[in-house]
Amino acid sequence: MIDWARLANLLRYGFLERALGSTALHLRWYNRIAIFPGGLCLLNLAIETKNLTKTYKTSSGPQSVVKDLDLQVERGEIFGFLGPNGAGKTTTIKILLGIIDSTSGEASVLGNPAGDIESHRKLSYLPEKPYYYEHMTGMEITQFYASLFGIKDRELCERLLNRVNLGNDMNRPISQYSKGMQQRVGLAQSLLNDPELLFLDEPTGGLDPIAHIEIRDLILKFRDEGRTVFISSHELSDVERICDRVAIINKGEMVHQGRLDQLLSGGRIEITADNVSEELSAKLRNDESTVSFKAGRLIADIPDSMKPGEVIDAIRAAGGEVVSIIPRRKRLEDLFLESVAGDNVIKGRKLSKMTDDHDDHVGSGTATTTEEEVSS
Amino acid sequence: MNAVLSIAKTTIGEAIRRRVLLVILLIGVLFLVIAPGLSVLSARQNYTVLTSFTLGIIQLTSAVIAIVLTVYLLPNEVERRTIYTILSKPVYRWHFLLGKYLGAVGALAMMMLLMSTVLVLVFKIMQRDASMEDVMRLATAPIFFFVQMSLLAAVAMFFSTFVSPIVNIFLSGGVYLIGTLFSPVFQDLSNNKNLSPAVKGAATLVHTVVPNFAQYNIQSGIINRGPELRSVELYYATIVGYALIYITVFLIAGMMVFDRKEV
Repeated sequence: MIDWARLANLLRYGFLERALGSTALHLRWYNRIAIFPGGLCLLNLAIETKNLTKTYKTSSGPQSVVKDLDLQVERGEIFGFLGPNGAGKTTTIKILLGIIDSTSGEASVLGNPAGDIESHRKLSYLPEKPYYYEHMTGMEITQFYASLFGIKDRELCERLLNRVNLGNDMNRPISQYSKGMQQRVGLAQSLLNDPELLFLDEPTGGLDPIAHIEIRDLILKFRDEGRTVFISSHELSDVERICDRVAIINKGEMVHQGRLDQLLSGGRIEITADNVSEELSAKLRNDESTVSFKAGRLIADIPDSMKPGEVIDAIRAAGGEVVSIIPRRKRLEDLFLESVAGDNVIKGRKLSKMTDDHDDHVGSGTATTTEEEVSS
Repeated sequence: MNAVLSIAKTTIGEAIRRRVLLVILLIGVLFLVIAPGLSVLSARQNYTVLTSFTLGIIQLTSAVIAIVLTVYLLPNEVERRTIYTILSKPVYRWHFLLGKYLGAVGALAMMMLLMSTVLVLVFKIMQRDASMEDVMRLATAPIFFFVQMSLLAAVAMFFSTFVSPIVNIFLSGGVYLIGTLFSPVFQDLSNNKNLSPAVKGAATLVHTVVPNFAQYNIQSGIINRGPELRSVELYYATIVGYALIYITVFLIAGMMVFDRKEV
């Protein structure tokens, strides 16, 4: 069986080109598709890891920071890489960039083994809270990073700095830049080599709302330009808003990976009804549902596994009037908490919120609704 | 090579702005300026004391600068995470290490040039009857100090690939002291036919591993104006070649360690 994807990657990155000569060159199109005698193949994975493991020797014995991680990032997507502090995100990024070696497993970036210098010509990395040499101006910093690619094009640097809205400040020392401006310099330097793949570590961390939105919009533009963006972030609302796919890791292990819409499906349904008796509301309460009254109106938040049709029928049969039925998608925050902490912590969180936000709600089985949950 | 030169240039720019280095440099320059005042108190001849004292100041200040400058170069880049941005570009680790080293040597050269200029000015002011030849002889010493400090920087750069800056200060300082004060002793021991092979072997090992920093202290010849070597140029070329060989060895060893280091 021919592994067309592998063969295509070999062609894409030149190994077969050298073997087949210039004819093979003409078979490539936009670095995305390779045509072979017998088929056409999409070169669709920007990052792939198989059983990636990183173990450190510590005084208390070997400690695995990354365990058997299987990661697939497709080309042209924004991929969110999530996990709590210490989950192994930065270690994974460092392995993918070739800054550290894995203990076992495989990692490929743009079809080459992780750390390959050829891949580095086509990728960029923006670390969390980047530091720049403070004596340099934005322009000098950009030119410095350009020189690492052998680029001496001042106009390109100017164009990129203009693109990130630093056109008027490019000749000011970096020490006078705000956090947002420094982050934008980082993005400008990360575009110097017209990268196919960008690694962004907490790109919006610590920024004011305006800078935050600007950076987020830039990232969306990167995807529109066909680039792959790999984001490691704790800003779950951003990730939910801009990412196509996410992976959540905890203690070095993959917990979830997939398209956001798929991961967040299977949510809950909010039913609002008038004229519902206490007796019926008591029946609706159980471990999975939450029931509350607001201004005399019943609000039942039930999982879609509870057969909402039966609930609606029960309300109507008891003389109640259904006012609204709102299907609610699971939030990334909920998925994240489930993934990294388990149900106990989620319940604990809800309980702690109950004590903080207690109002005129009626309690349910185990979890009580809050104003935020009702209104969201 | 573009990457190496860019990294070197940036390193120079940063080094010459580091306050701790500027303070050390300022103290050195200050001592050079007040040196003539101190020599008045001496019973010895002005020329001897002034030359000996000022050259000693330059050597000591340069050694402290070389060590303090170099030991923090790599750890600072790791701590500030700039190394990740740089190494994620098409830059090999040896490019980075070599660029850092060349930058350190460049910054050292600038600082030593400043001290040497002050030295020559002070000497010309205090020794008005000194000939141009005397001035040139005096200026020769800092050149060899620079070669010596470049070697010291290579030693410190090597250690910085695997030890912390504080440990590195002691290690590099120790190697410098042994190589300056005891290298002739170890050389004599390794050539002494009356010693046991074990002692001779140990002395030869130390003499080989620890660079001989003492040979760059050419100030005694300048101060005492003693009998000249048959070929001064050959001697100078030999000790510069010796330094280049040791610098290359230390840098390659550092690159090998740094290449496998998890930063």
